Amino acid sequence: MTMDRNEILKQLNKIFIDVLDDEEIVISESTSANDVEEWDSLNHIMLVVEIENHFGIKFKSNAILSWKNVGEMMDTILEN
Amino acid sequence: MKFKVSDSFYAEYVVNAQIHQLFLGISNDHNPLHTDKEFAVSKGFKGKVMHGNILNCFLSHFIGEGLPQNNVIIHSQTIQFKNPVYLDDKLQFQAKVDQIIKSVNVVIFKYEFKNESLKSVARGNIQIGLV
Repeated sequence: MTMDRNEILKQLNKIFIDVLDDEEIVISESTSANDVEEWDSLNHIMLVVEIENHFGIKFKSNAILSWKNVGEMMDTILEN
Repeated sequence: MKFKVSDSFYAEYVVNAQIHQLFLGISNDHNPLHTDKEFAVSKGFKGKVMHGNILNCFLSHFIGEGLPQNNVIIHSQTIQFKNPVYLDDKLQFQAKVDQIIKSVNVVIFKYEFKNESLKSVARGNIQIGLV
């Protein structure tokens, strides 16, 4: 993975906008599900599906469960 | 998980008079295209056009009862209608596992309905979760 964190965050923001169907969403590394109304349990699954497909990676279930915010999600993306 | 990529599933569905009547009742969609043969023929169809969303009922049956495991829930589905379905048409249904996302127990199918002339009448994707 050669992308830097800013580039990953930019790409994640676009995925969040598409999946959550909200053009106004702006995420940061500290953003969590509590900060985004549409980020519910089903949309969380949809986000994981789109993120895996977009970056061509496979997450482990325990990694997903450990995420507390977007930054930790990015850490896992960078580890893949 | 009892699925692997490229697994295929098959079924046959018939849009018979009972199903048509039941769907008219559930949907309350009595558009003449679905209920008036003369009207439908005047618009270039061979007969009354069956509601495309009857196929969504068949998809519900397939996911709910046609898979090797029943701990399933539909997350999302798409459908594109390609050709009309008429009363008593026998439809061949095929669904193929296109993708498995193990981390979140998700299976994505591509599916297609074909009529007896093997013309595609509808196709799309269904994403299910294993609960």
